[in-house]
Amino acid sequence: MFMIRLIAILAACVLPAAAFAEAVDISTARGVVALQAKPRRVAVFDMAALDTLDLLGVKAAGVPDRVYLPELKKAAAGAEVVGTLFEPDLEALSALGPDLIILGGRSSPKLQQTARVAPTIDMSIDGQDLIKDAEVRLEGYGRLFGREQAAREAQQTFIAAVAAAREAAKGKGRALILMTNGPKISAFGVGSRFGWLHSTLGIEPAVNPMSPGIHGEAVSFEFVRKADPDWLIVVDRALAIGAGDSQARATLDNELVRSTKAWKQGRVIYLPAADLYIAGGGIQAMTRVLAAITRGFSATP
Amino acid sequence: MMPVERPVGRPVGAAALLVLAGLFITSLFVGVGEVSLRDAFTDPDALYLIAASRLPRTLAAVLTGAGLAIAGLVMQTLARNRFVEPTTAGTGQSAALGILLVTLLMPSASIATKTLVASVTALAGTSLFLSIAHRLPPTQPFLVPLFGLVYGGVVGAAVTFVAWHADLLQFVEIWTSGEFSGVLRGRYELLWVSAAMLAATWIFADRFTLMSLGRDVSVGLGLDYARMMQIGLVIISVVTALTVVIVGLIPFVGLVVPNMVSRLMGDNMRSAIPWVAGSGAALVLVCDIIGRLLRFPYEIPVGTVLGVVGAAAFLWLLFRRPAHA
Repeated sequence: MFMIRLIAILAACVLPAAAFAEAVDISTARGVVALQAKPRRVAVFDMAALDTLDLLGVKAAGVPDRVYLPELKKAAAGAEVVGTLFEPDLEALSALGPDLIILGGRSSPKLQQTARVAPTIDMSIDGQDLIKDAEVRLEGYGRLFGREQAAREAQQTFIAAVAAAREAAKGKGRALILMTNGPKISAFGVGSRFGWLHSTLGIEPAVNPMSPGIHGEAVSFEFVRKADPDWLIVVDRALAIGAGDSQARATLDNELVRSTKAWKQGRVIYLPAADLYIAGGGIQAMTRVLAAITRGFSATP
Repeated sequence: MMPVERPVGRPVGAAALLVLAGLFITSLFVGVGEVSLRDAFTDPDALYLIAASRLPRTLAAVLTGAGLAIAGLVMQTLARNRFVEPTTAGTGQSAALGILLVTLLMPSASIATKTLVASVTALAGTSLFLSIAHRLPPTQPFLVPLFGLVYGGVVGAAVTFVAWHADLLQFVEIWTSGEFSGVLRGRYELLWVSAAMLAATWIFADRFTLMSLGRDVSVGLGLDYARMMQIGLVIISVVTALTVVIVGLIPFVGLVVPNMVSRLMGDNMRSAIPWVAGSGAALVLVCDIIGRLLRFPYEIPVGTVLGVVGAAAFLWLLFRRPAHA
């Protein structure tokens, strides 16, 4: 009984103090979470989050050893290295003593472990409704870090970029989304991680229905030839993960793909692979992806 | 001279050849593009599809299957143990290490260069395996495959370690799962070197059979043991390296096929070679056809299908009573 009373008294002392720091409700990949506003030291393992926070002028205190995107080097400079993109280093995290840890995608399975070091949120974005999720995250980070104004402005620009891409792609024909992985390819449909290209930007899919697997489906070059899309939208996975030069063009440049309408008319759009594959959902990265789409669809007749 | 092998009648051979031919033709007509039997020879588009995509893929499967099965047979002869094969005993992993090194040191190297380097590392890796395997006591036949598994694991770990340091782990995945979906005219032709290795095995078949009697006996019978060991090593390494570079690692073929054939036919290599090569080709072809059909129009890697089929076949080998023990 004494213990319970003691805890109650302690809680009574602590709670009002906690209430001083304003609490914010942030929507995450695992539902809405109440967090203390304006955390000072943040460890960021999600590249989309790092990208959006950089835009809002929030500096991360801890980052993974590699950020993959050259554009993010600046955002990560000066921050402590606290693990890898896949694996937070719990000791380094404890030493850093962050107020908040942001996980996402590749690091999200580690939430249980990092939650013991500091409050942790999972900001994964699965890609089916990437644009909306990106905006929700932007708005959330704005409120969390007290940068609402900057977030609103960024959102306006972003919405305009989305609209421009949608406008550019309108009525241009059917597209097939391919990811090249060394000499092999997979195709992505409406329910996949690149599904937002179809659902949000309104680009007509060349193969419908496609199996809804989030990671796409391994296909042969015959599949591409049979689909005969008007456009090919290509993501080079090897390039995204930093395995050498882009070989997507070499992989696709074969007689079966050459016989498609898309290849014959030069309607092949290579998306900035790392922006989409590593930092998909980050506002700056997505703006570059959208710009590539707009450019691609407007450049050719 | 007494015939060593148990005679297998001509009708059985003819039937087996028919099955292989049937699979070959089936493979030509399984795929996403439309090619029907009726207009295969009249429709120019169907003919084009067969020439550009189906025939290369089918030939690649046949060459890979036959090559890996023969490499397994040769490796089992050299190790004097039935339960080793290139992909479990370090050859495949050594080849992967070679490709990794080329990728790191010469990122723009051609496929031929990659194959060459992979062959050299595979040769080194296999030589080391065999030289250690020969020191293990022959009275403990399971020590060799166990050592092979550990050895393959160690080399595989080295591959993972180097890849992890160079941030190429996901790149390694690309060629560790074997599949034929990327095979097209102009992208598989190097595999024909496997056919040359097959021919070499045929030429030296009798000498390999003598080698299976052990070093002392074969030297006593006038065999240049060291030279034959080198030739055998080259055959194993080149076939494995080619396969890893062009289609990826394909498990079980080198283990299951030679064992099944020897169960049915005995140990004379010359009479076994056509059966081992043919069965290996048929096995890989069947698995590739299954991989193309199971989730049509998408693909399942042949390595995955073979993992399942091969494991079942291996269990059959283990639990079935020996035919002549």
